Amino acid sequence: MIRLVAGRLLTLPLVLGAVAVMTFLMAAASPFDPIRAYVGAETVVDQETRDHIAQAWGLDRPLPEQMARWLGRLVQGDLGRSHLFGGQPVRDLLLDRAPASLLLMGSAMALVLVGGLVAGTLAAAFRDSWFDWLVRGASHLNIAAPSFWVALLALYLFSIELGWLPGAGMSDLRSTGAPRVDLEHLILPASVLAVTQHAWFTLYVRNTLLEVLREDYVRYARSHGMGRWRIMFRHALPNALIPFVTLAGVHVSELLGGSVLIESIFGWPGLGTLVRDAALGVDLPVLVAVTLGSSVLVVAGNLLADVGYRLLDPRVREGLP
Amino acid sequence: MTGVSVLEVEGLTVRFRVPRGAVQALTDVTFSLGRGEILTVVGESGSGKTVLAHAITRLLPLNAEVTGRVRLDGEDVLALSEAAMQRLRARRLALIPQSPGAALNPVRRVGPLLLEIARVRGLPRDEARARLGGALRELGLAFDAVAGRYPHQLSGGMQQRVVNAAAMAAAPDVVIADEPTHGLDADLVETTARQLQAIAAHGAALLVITHDLRLARRLGGRTAVVYASYLVELRPAEGFFTGPAHPYGRALLRAMPEHGGVPIPGLSPELTALPRGCPFAPRCPDRAPVCEEAVPPPAPLPDGGMVRCAVHAGG
Amino acid sequence: MTAPAAGRAGRPVPALRLGTFRRLPGPAVLAGAVTAALVLLALGAGVFRPLDTYTVALDAALQPPSLQHPMGTDEVGRDVLARVLHGLRVSFGVSVLAALVALLVGGTLGVLAGALGGRVDAAVMRFLDVFASQNHLVFGIVLAVLFRPALGPVGAVLLSVGLTHWTSLARIVRGELIALRGQPFVSAAIGGGAGRWRLVRRHYLPHLLPALVLGFVLLFPHAIFHESALSFLGLGLPPHQASLGNILADGRRSLLAGAWWTSLFPGLVLLAASLAVGTLGEYWRDRHHPRWRSELEL
Repeated sequence: MIRLVAGRLLTLPLVLGAVAVMTFLMAAASPFDPIRAYVGAETVVDQETRDHIAQAWGLDRPLPEQMARWLGRLVQGDLGRSHLFGGQPVRDLLLDRAPASLLLMGSAMALVLVGGLVAGTLAAAFRDSWFDWLVRGASHLNIAAPSFWVALLALYLFSIELGWLPGAGMSDLRSTGAPRVDLEHLILPASVLAVTQHAWFTLYVRNTLLEVLREDYVRYARSHGMGRWRIMFRHALPNALIPFVTLAGVHVSELLGGSVLIESIFGWPGLGTLVRDAALGVDLPVLVAVTLGSSVLVVAGNLLADVGYRLLDPRVREGLP
Repeated sequence: MTGVSVLEVEGLTVRFRVPRGAVQALTDVTFSLGRGEILTVVGESGSGKTVLAHAITRLLPLNAEVTGRVRLDGEDVLALSEAAMQRLRARRLALIPQSPGAALNPVRRVGPLLLEIARVRGLPRDEARARLGGALRELGLAFDAVAGRYPHQLSGGMQQRVVNAAAMAAAPDVVIADEPTHGLDADLVETTARQLQAIAAHGAALLVITHDLRLARRLGGRTAVVYASYLVELRPAEGFFTGPAHPYGRALLRAMPEHGGVPIPGLSPELTALPRGCPFAPRCPDRAPVCEEAVPPPAPLPDGGMVRCAVHAGG
Repeated sequence: MTAPAAGRAGRPVPALRLGTFRRLPGPAVLAGAVTAALVLLALGAGVFRPLDTYTVALDAALQPPSLQHPMGTDEVGRDVLARVLHGLRVSFGVSVLAALVALLVGGTLGVLAGALGGRVDAAVMRFLDVFASQNHLVFGIVLAVLFRPALGPVGAVLLSVGLTHWTSLARIVRGELIALRGQPFVSAAIGGGAGRWRLVRRHYLPHLLPALVLGFVLLFPHAIFHESALSFLGLGLPPHQASLGNILADGRRSLLAGAWWTSLFPGLVLLAASLAVGTLGEYWRDRHHPRWRSELEL
């Protein structure tokens, strides 16, 4: 187990390095002009100023040297400066926004896990009943439905038409003092993010359970006169939960992608809106940093999935170091 | 036959609906079994033996169509509600599964699983522990030695003894053992045979399903032969192993290594398309024209047995 | 077991079967009908709803659905139905092209890895791992931003989809080729002196055709989502090339004014398109190529 974690943590820099090099090369290959992006489309710059900026940024050096210097700064934790957000260091910007995103994604993940487990278990227990058909139909619709559209409909229904929940921001704008989070502001974006992701989990639980219910050990439990729910909870679910944990770990990345759209729509001041704003304002250092950060999240999610799998499955726990 | 029958099976027929047609798994199977008796059902794999175990315990998949009668002390098992069937399985029936390795839940420790089984079977907590301990001790295992382990940490022989103990602990009226020696080496086969005889000696009616003819001979009692969904011969074991009445029974014995290992020519018929006449006729050395016309009815034999053969009906 | 259909040289060729129509289940038939209807509507957008999409009529702004405007009007009085039909056409076109780009990237790299093996294979697989460790949308946004100045908005969207969605197809193509290399008829062809490219053309490509076509069909819903999400965020197609994503972005503004129809209908059409095509693809996959289940998902 320790070897697994250590091995994964050792490959993390390799993956990050590869992502960094790739991003850099793509930025270099694209005709993207950092100076133009810096000064903005409206400002006219003469060649002398351009050269000056290029020299200050090291853009006049050969490409490999530029890359080496950039990577060197990256290793030291210097992600560059955002030109969109007043030259703020990108690292501070990310650290500033991360808590809001983690809160949103964490709440959504909790909702998804609980909801998927309950709905998937009931659908499997009452296979081919109206409930099962409802869950399956809703899940398939859900997978095909664009998440931002679902968010718009929810925003309209619960915030604009019914007025039950606030539909923008993280806290009441009238409140003063330190920035804080109001629960009622969290409910709508977190639920929508959960709803747009839940179908995977629900169908997964249902289908895995149905597979497990065909196993010999389930028939053996039945042969001893055990009832439906005892078999479901004490014999089938513990087995079905093992792959479920893997799915949750792998799904962290999907939540991140979903939060870009959901945060933008609900004005949630997290990494998602940061990505949108940085993209619209062509703030390359921020975008590169987010790319790297999302790789870290994916690797961490996969690691979490593997560790969870090993902890839950006694066969793997014993068999492998 | 000794004593009153506990289990009576009459005209049991099982078909599986499949996308194209139906698979005939059992046809018109009739037998009865008393307390302390052993009946061993032998046949090739795919002949319908395991279906018999699952039909009696009503554990067949949903696409199975079951007709006929299964009575337990006169009560019609096939007519029971699911809840009543559940109680019946818990209190009166026990199934020793085909492959214990797959039947023991991989993420459950053996001890808690056994205790849960015993509790579901109606034993109070203290008694459950004592009875399981006793059953395992009889089989040469200590409860504490296996309780904390997961199934994959036990050897095949230990897994077999665990499921045997689970069946013995609650002293059910009928025990059905499905291929109890599958994949075991000769020593363990002998041990298992002794365990099974012990179960019968405790007063249970024991139905053993196997493809292992030597186990059938070793167990004694009566032996039944299944071929292509039919029960073709049912005899006291001694009579069957000294002089089988059905040509298929003779062929089976000749195929045993100690009797020359002569293979049976031809193949078993597909269960999706059984012939109109005797299913063994195409492979039978004693085939007569009458064999192709209809499946012969069961005919009594002098030793109280039965044979389904038009040519050898008289013994 | 029935023998597989024998090809010209006596080698088994997996047929590109569409399934026997006798036993098609309801959902697949419905999905096929919806797909056909949407394609027809998109192609004939101008004929079915010949209103000028870009006519501004402020006095008719934000009207709820009526007989004259079945999907209502938007904030500048344009008929939403007409915009949706034209948007469908744009989204369909861009998504088909984008799925083809993904197919091209994934197919090429998969063939390289599977046919050449060795170091090329290892390099492609490491490259693939790096791409697979990225979230499609976040990475797609970065790509769209980077390539927009050079390729224009449409080109950037195509590349954004293509470079984020090629990995699963590349894995399948590689796997198929590796399995194929061990087949007797391939060894025979190599023994008979067939060159590498002849091998690819005559033996590999016919075998890969089902994977490529199925990959294309199942990539389409991803492509249409990716395109509309980018457009919705303002990073995709320019506003005058109104795709469904752009129309939804407009709809979001009208939402605050209480107009639900400008959001509901474009999204419904988007949902119908990706659901219908996705259902068709999944049905076909589960029926004929179930082993690709883990890689090709809706």
